Amino acid sequence: MIWASWRRQRAQLITLLGMVVIGAGVITLLRSNMIDAINSSQLAHCVTQAIDECSAPAEVQKAFRTEWATPFQTAQILIIGLPALIGVFIGAPLFARELEQGTHVLAFTQSVSRTRWMVSKLVVALVPALIVLIVLQYLVWWWLTAAGALGPRLNGSFNPVNFGIDHVSPVGYALFAFALGTFVGVVSRRTLVAMTVGLGAFVVVRFALSGLVNDLVPAQRREVPAGSDVDLRQGGGLELEFGWLNASGQPIPHDKVSALIQACKSTPSGTPNTQEGFLACLPQSGLAKKYTSFIPESQAWQVHLVDAAIFGGLAVLLLVGTAWALRRQS
Amino acid sequence: MNSRRQPDQALPVSAEGLGKKYRRGWALRETSLVIPRNRIVALVGPNGAGKSTLMGLITGLLRPTTGEITVFGDRPTGKGLHPAVSYLAQQKPLYQQFTVTETLMFGARTNPTWDQRYAEYLIEQAAVPVDARVATLSGGQRTRVALALALGKRPNLLLLDEPLADLDPLARETVLRALITEARTQGITVVLSSHVLAELEGVCDHLVLLHKGRVLLAGDVGRLSADGTPLGELALNRMRQAAQEEAA
Repeated sequence: MIWASWRRQRAQLITLLGMVVIGAGVITLLRSNMIDAINSSQLAHCVTQAIDECSAPAEVQKAFRTEWATPFQTAQILIIGLPALIGVFIGAPLFARELEQGTHVLAFTQSVSRTRWMVSKLVVALVPALIVLIVLQYLVWWWLTAAGALGPRLNGSFNPVNFGIDHVSPVGYALFAFALGTFVGVVSRRTLVAMTVGLGAFVVVRFALSGLVNDLVPAQRREVPAGSDVDLRQGGGLELEFGWLNASGQPIPHDKVSALIQACKSTPSGTPNTQEGFLACLPQSGLAKKYTSFIPESQAWQVHLVDAAIFGGLAVLLLVGTAWALRRQS
Repeated sequence: MNSRRQPDQALPVSAEGLGKKYRRGWALRETSLVIPRNRIVALVGPNGAGKSTLMGLITGLLRPTTGEITVFGDRPTGKGLHPAVSYLAQQKPLYQQFTVTETLMFGARTNPTWDQRYAEYLIEQAAVPVDARVATLSGGQRTRVALALALGKRPNLLLLDEPLADLDPLARETVLRALITEARTQGITVVLSSHVLAELEGVCDHLVLLHKGRVLLAGDVGRLSADGTPLGELALNRMRQAAQEEAA
């Protein structure tokens, strides 16, 4: 059965192989061109350093960023878009085309169980697609890492685009898009319907769930006294909450906070307050501490795991639905 | 997969009160039917009489709404076809991009009872080029390939849904003759469906006449036309009678 599924999907597998070869060639070439450009503009030390520590002239940095913005974005869009493409062109037609052309009857009337037929088709379609995705994702990561702070990495791991192309998240999205395509295909029995409805549903769910995952990972909390000049946002990461606490440690509502701060900006006599006076005024009005809860950059992998688990779980449900619909006798 | 009982003892098909209702209405109702061994059965009826539905129920592609059906003693399920049964659907589904050799390989890989030499022999008999893609074959050649796939499984019961429908008269005759020769020499029960009785008359030795989802006539040809009435006339009379009863 594996042989038959392989033979059925041979053209598609060759296309995938071509994509990887071309993709790998283009990315390797772009990466080496980019490193040459960095070295010739003497920007090499800006790759690893923070943006304000980079001593190269601002216009040289700007020129580099402008020149490379489009290639970087294209690579990111490729990895963001690949799961959707896998769903539309590999998942959706997988069963829908057989059901549409009636060739499923051919498979159903041999001495092979429907489940085995389904599993062999799923494996032969999905595994190569995932390998292609992972290889291209790795190559893009390799390239963007070489650009470091001069490229999109500057925005941190929690930037929505950076997050979407990192770690296991793309695999989770691809599994979901693929399973969604097969499920809609089996239910609708129409390739075109499966492709369009699958794509639409994937895009909606992908963006609807994109913020949800942040609340599912334990956040860290940092508190500083009102007058402290310690930067709460140091070290990047994803800030979930920010606010003020009163002396007993209770959060103060945001509208009340802004009223109190406004009040502290002027002295009781009506003249603008000094910086010292302002800072002294804050604890007196009850604004004892600033706090933030955030997910540090170093914990990003946990968020990715939860993200992939959600989409992977949905994919499993959809595949169970696909199996149920295929095994059902009409 | 069905556990395979002794096909020698159980009847190829036995149905009791079998009915199938689609969303648009009943396709087959209250059918009780027995198909004995070693017969060539003509399953005849006008379009929409329920021929394909009956075959779908025998293969397990469809689930009965009422009643029961057994195939060699087993109830057909959606899990897979009974190993002793081969089925050729009306559209003769084949993978268009496969070559003839690859189609036979598909049969070999999906059927434990596959007889490669026999399948190759059938293709050779039909003079179909083995390296040609299925999509490039003529209707007659495609039917021969589909038949080789169905027979290569070495079935005891072969179900053919309108196998001659899209063939020219000459191809009809060759296909039918090849089929009957194989059935007789291999001892296979064959069920052929058609809306034209004439093309099966003289070939079949058992008749099942369906009309609007009901069996009007069923039995061995020798017994049905014992008084010498031609089969075609017999069937036509029975159908006229049914139409009159309906009108009344």
